[in-house]
Amino acid sequence: MVKINFIEADGSETELDVQDGWSLMQAAVSNGVEGIEAECGGSCCCATCHCYVDEAYLDKLEAANDKELGMLEETVAERKDNSRLACQVKVTPEMDGMTVHLPEVQS
Amino acid sequence: MVRFNLYSAEFDANPFDVYKELRDNHPCFWSEDAQKWVLTRHEDVLNALNDWETYSSAKGNLVDEFPGRAGNTLGTMDPPRHDEVRSIVQSVFMKRNLNHLIEPIQQIAKGAIENCIGDRKVFDFAEDFAGEVTYKVLVALLGLPETDDPAEVKKNALLMVQTDPKTREKGPEHLKAFEWMKDFAAEVIELRSKQPGDDLVSQLITAELDGRKLDLIQVQMTVTTLVMAGIESLAGMLKVFGYNMAVFPEQRQKLLDDMSLLPDAIEESMRFNTSAQRFRRCLTKDVTLHGQTMKKGDFVILAYGAANRDERKYPNPDVYDITRNSKGHVGMGGGTHTCLGNSIARLAMKTAMEVFLTEIPSFSLAEPEDRLEWVASSNFRSPVKLLLVRE
Repeated sequence: MVKINFIEADGSETELDVQDGWSLMQAAVSNGVEGIEAECGGSCCCATCHCYVDEAYLDKLEAANDKELGMLEETVAERKDNSRLACQVKVTPEMDGMTVHLPEVQS
Repeated sequence: MVRFNLYSAEFDANPFDVYKELRDNHPCFWSEDAQKWVLTRHEDVLNALNDWETYSSAKGNLVDEFPGRAGNTLGTMDPPRHDEVRSIVQSVFMKRNLNHLIEPIQQIAKGAIENCIGDRKVFDFAEDFAGEVTYKVLVALLGLPETDDPAEVKKNALLMVQTDPKTREKGPEHLKAFEWMKDFAAEVIELRSKQPGDDLVSQLITAELDGRKLDLIQVQMTVTTLVMAGIESLAGMLKVFGYNMAVFPEQRQKLLDDMSLLPDAIEESMRFNTSAQRFRRCLTKDVTLHGQTMKKGDFVILAYGAANRDERKYPNPDVYDITRNSKGHVGMGGGTHTCLGNSIARLAMKTAMEVFLTEIPSFSLAEPEDRLEWVASSNFRSPVKLLLVRE
């Protein structure tokens, strides 16, 4: 299990123990974290699981592929350097303790 | 010995005691009746949904599948093909692209109340509201021709989701309905090829991804599925929501006092009385779970309706409570195959029920609950008729 802390736009926090290999989106959605919509279920085609990952952990994440980079252009909230689609970030033990901020809007 | 006979229509009148027994004592259960494994705990169902490589949909997702359907619809494809096709169709179903439907849905709901319910004290919520609203929303969304006989389309959609309780297979009448729907889809596709509009079918025909269009058979099977699933699952969701509102008047009053709770009441309805009760996967490798070994090639039923009542996930699961956080339920499935229409379904439910509850805020069942007849479907659970009486 890997500890990930989700912080919503209103400041509310949910700390989850996430199964190794699950995506950040799967963890958030199945635990009722409000700020992730994930309309497409993780097929990387809706950009409604936009999140901002802890910059200190950026180099521990596998880089975004072309499809994700394309979808990141569709996010409703501002895209930043640490923007990712939560469905494309698979949780690994190196991410233990990582914080993920969620944007105010997804759609 | 506990039985899981999802082919008996009586089973769906109250499947919840059996579900509890399975969750508690047989969480990985081989059903002799279904000749399939059954998973009922929330955690197990969710893990299966999130692991498409092991729990494959490529051999079909309906508990009893139609010939030639598997592999040609989104729900019966695995990634990467699934993700490619989903990329083509997803945008049409996204919340941000659905706002233009709010006003038409309000009009549709008002029209149903005015024309189908009228001043009657007793009415059939299933036919007069849920069925009527669903069909007209689908017409608006898909671009079905207005002139078609709605009763015929609805009848065939309903037949498609059923299974013969005796043979436990799709019977001739169900297969005939499937063929009818395929022909109907082909006609709609031909019409929209000639006269494209801003509807979904037109977009499916013209949509391209990396220069590739969908194959005609995929457009046809997708439209066939959308009509079937649209009619039975949206109408089913509306029906069970109407049912919950009728049998839990204190929850309905809570909602009437604060209509901002409507989205939560709908989520809780999907959890508590899930219309998409059971879907199917096929194992691509041996899996050992709770001491049982399921073999590669075995079929597994994911019982969403049971997972949503799992006390390991939800405290007091058998209580309908619109103020609980029911997020994380699997009423729309989950994982890569999460219901394509989840946003349109939620929007249509919310918009239509807002109108309904404003016009008809107070009602109850017009006949005893044990007289309710449930649709004989191995996938979906909803009442055939829902007679309500205004109070």
